[in-house]
Amino acid sequence: MHILEVNGLKKTYAPRFGGHSVEALKNVNFSVDRGEYVAIMGESGSGKTTLLNILAALDKPTAGRVTLDGMDLSRVGESAAAAFRRDNLGFVFQEFNLLDTFTIEDNILLPLVLSNRRTAEMQSRLDPIAARLGLSDLLKKYPYEVSGGQKQRAAVARAMITDPKLILADEPTGALDSRSTGELLRLFAEVNGLGQTILMVTHSIRAASTAKRVLFIKDGEVFHQIYRGDDTDERLYQKISDTLTLLMLTAGGEKR
Amino acid sequence: MKILFYPRLALSGIQKNRQLYLPYFLTCSGMVMMFYLLCFLSYSKGVSGMALSAFIASILRLGSIVIAVFSCAFLFYTNAFLLRRRKKEFGLYSILGMNRRNLGRILFWESAFLSLSSLAAGLLGGIAFSKLAELGLLNILKGEIDYTLRISPQSVLLTLKVFGVIFLLIFFNALRQLWFSSAIALFSSEQAGEKPPKANWALGLLGVAILGCGYYIAIAYGDNAITAIEIFFTAVLLVMAGTWLTMIFGSVLLCRLLQKNRAYYYRPAHFVSVASMAWRMKRNGAGLASICILSTMVLVMISSTACLYFGTEDALQERYPGEINLEVHLNEDATADLLSNSNTAAFLQKVRSLADDMGTEPKNLFLCREVSMAGTLTDGHIAADLPRYRELLDSSLTLLSFIPLSDYNALTGSSETLKEDEILLGAKRMDYQGDTLSFFDRTTCRIKRRIDDFYSSRERSMSILPGMTIVVPDIAPLLQNYGSLAEFTGNRAVSLQWTCHFDTDLDANGQASLSTKLLDAFLSSPSRERFGIDSVLCETRIQNRNDFFTMHGGLFYLGIMLSLVFLTAAVLMIYYKQICEGYEDSGRFAIMQKVGMTRREIKRSVNSQLLTVFFLPLAFSALHLCFSFPIINTMLHVFNLSNTALLGRITAVCFALFALFYLLIYRITSNTYYRIVSGLQET
Repeated sequence: MHILEVNGLKKTYAPRFGGHSVEALKNVNFSVDRGEYVAIMGESGSGKTTLLNILAALDKPTAGRVTLDGMDLSRVGESAAAAFRRDNLGFVFQEFNLLDTFTIEDNILLPLVLSNRRTAEMQSRLDPIAARLGLSDLLKKYPYEVSGGQKQRAAVARAMITDPKLILADEPTGALDSRSTGELLRLFAEVNGLGQTILMVTHSIRAASTAKRVLFIKDGEVFHQIYRGDDTDERLYQKISDTLTLLMLTAGGEKR
Repeated sequence: MKILFYPRLALSGIQKNRQLYLPYFLTCSGMVMMFYLLCFLSYSKGVSGMALSAFIASILRLGSIVIAVFSCAFLFYTNAFLLRRRKKEFGLYSILGMNRRNLGRILFWESAFLSLSSLAAGLLGGIAFSKLAELGLLNILKGEIDYTLRISPQSVLLTLKVFGVIFLLIFFNALRQLWFSSAIALFSSEQAGEKPPKANWALGLLGVAILGCGYYIAIAYGDNAITAIEIFFTAVLLVMAGTWLTMIFGSVLLCRLLQKNRAYYYRPAHFVSVASMAWRMKRNGAGLASICILSTMVLVMISSTACLYFGTEDALQERYPGEINLEVHLNEDATADLLSNSNTAAFLQKVRSLADDMGTEPKNLFLCREVSMAGTLTDGHIAADLPRYRELLDSSLTLLSFIPLSDYNALTGSSETLKEDEILLGAKRMDYQGDTLSFFDRTTCRIKRRIDDFYSSRERSMSILPGMTIVVPDIAPLLQNYGSLAEFTGNRAVSLQWTCHFDTDLDANGQASLSTKLLDAFLSSPSRERFGIDSVLCETRIQNRNDFFTMHGGLFYLGIMLSLVFLTAAVLMIYYKQICEGYEDSGRFAIMQKVGMTRREIKRSVNSQLLTVFFLPLAFSALHLCFSFPIINTMLHVFNLSNTALLGRITAVCFALFALFYLLIYRITSNTYYRIVSGLQET
């Protein structure tokens, strides 16, 4: 059962002052099943961020279709897209994107407040998530008072609080130290174990090796994919590493 | 090349931060220009040829001192703001290997460029506008105008000295700040984690209390003209302190209270706004309070001086009811028969014949007899046992003027009648609501009618103390009853005077020579004895008119100039505040969008915050203005102006114009804000 379907996705940026237009995405096709944990890998400039922006309905594709749970994202307007993001998607970003004016608690509750939920419901959703992410003691603190790992956990809590159909993570470990990275990745695996669908964009092999499937993007196209199968994290790490080496060799070969 | 390295770096730094430096440059030039203009005018030939020129020169000089002090404080503030924005850049230089000495050199060249160019621009502007300013001043003062452009070297020199010192001080302050911060501190100064605003109950409530105290003082003690100025300054200080505390701590406190109320706070319409308002107010409270105080200063200054100027004619009419005004004081042993009708008729006959010698006939000739004394009023009883000099300023001291009914009727053209124990009562600068009034000798009179709009001559010349004008059927008995009362000086407490005023069809010179003739005639020994005259005062309205216009016009002009300076400062503060908030908000803007707010929602929320923050100072200054109205009205009494309606109208017009201007500034600066927010979003 597909929760997300991407067909023939194409995105071209026309430069403002003439010149050649840039093709960020050429032809991207893939699908994600309910409960899957997919990592998308690629070098910088390969179109990862563009893809994520389109999936988040922050940007519109030049051609192609994105269907989330049967809804065509390319057809919704700006305000509907915002409401859609709020109710169906959860975001985790590299630079956390917590609002410094809010306490951790208020940051987590933000999506619920925006969809006008009752206060009692907010509380009943907040408590278990905060407990699971180890944030219960930090709720009244401000982002500037907590560590990077704690900030990122707060961001994950914010992403999860609406029970989204899909969590989109953009380089979630990019700004974390090694220990916090380990914690976050374990957390993702655990959440995924509970049935949460996750799509993560990353260029960290370590992050990607915790996923169930890894897609490789190069020059705006899905180039290759690896299924975990029964592999351990270490085995998957090795496979991804090999693929990337191959990728680099072919890139080198093309240049020559 | 190496020599020019630092100047170049400095120039490019200024150029890249145009958005910050252009307004700063304009403000510096503006302050320099205003300072030069006021200096120039105080030495101006056009002014020195006028009556009361020393007074005008001194208030202009006072104005220039105010500008110098204010510029110093204000430019310090703005420069600190600029430096905060530049610290990151300096941090980068220092990480790239520049030491403090190198940074100091860049700073030196920057300051040098800015100071010299704004001095040059300000002086050029000052010289260019000096004629216009002079014409404006002379027009207001109704002086004589000539059209040659002059440069005043002493003013140029003074301006260079004063602002040279100010700019030097600012440079040293900037250098000091740079010197004592490390490269890393500089580099990350902008992102330094800021502590969330804390609700400070004590300071927040203290602010509201102080503000209320200031208001209370202004209202409760604002009706005594003698102490009004003192009270006014006390109230101003309290209100200023109160405004600061309320804006900074009171507003955060309010936001925190709102946040405590979960049912209110966790709603889409309030959530983001309330939380970011608390931060905004913490950072901008001081700025907002300053804007509010500046706005109030401008409004109070311009409305009171405008009222003074436009009410000059009123004040003149009030002070001098006729073209020629005689005030005759009778000597100590004047008896009741000197107040008789036949005696006054003889006096008037004399006035007529003197006017006839000048070939004119007095028109609207009136004579009013007046018995005046001072007393203290308590519970409807007037006591004559006057307090000693020390307690003379006690507000219960009341000036009493008794006027015979016949003179009152003649002056006002009415045909009032009074029984033996009835009086008409006019009360000024006091609040008396009783139906009766009892006197020293325990006679009690019924007040038949109130005539609060009527001015006796005593009222006109001594218009700051509370006063009662009492119209009695006849004043002869008064003299018999009170004639023996003595003041503590030993002089008779009661004084008798006639005031006589009339119009002529003579020109100013004719009026002057007629008034000399009148003085000579009545001060001659035969007349003195005949009428029992002690002294005579003769004033023409036209002579005093110039003085009035010079004084009021001078104050009005100063009011305009200082208002312009303060207004410029307020505008600049608003502009910088918007830039500051623009940079801060752009990051939040992007996050909120990612989390699922539509652009419309974000814009609406930010807009409502901006509006609140922006119009808070205006609303506060309107409130301040309302509470200061009575005391300003009282202070204007000192200038013979008691036209509350005029002050009300002018204040309303000033406020409306100011609000319109404020709105315009909002439109312009909020555009800058949106440019910053959307510009940063793209990158």
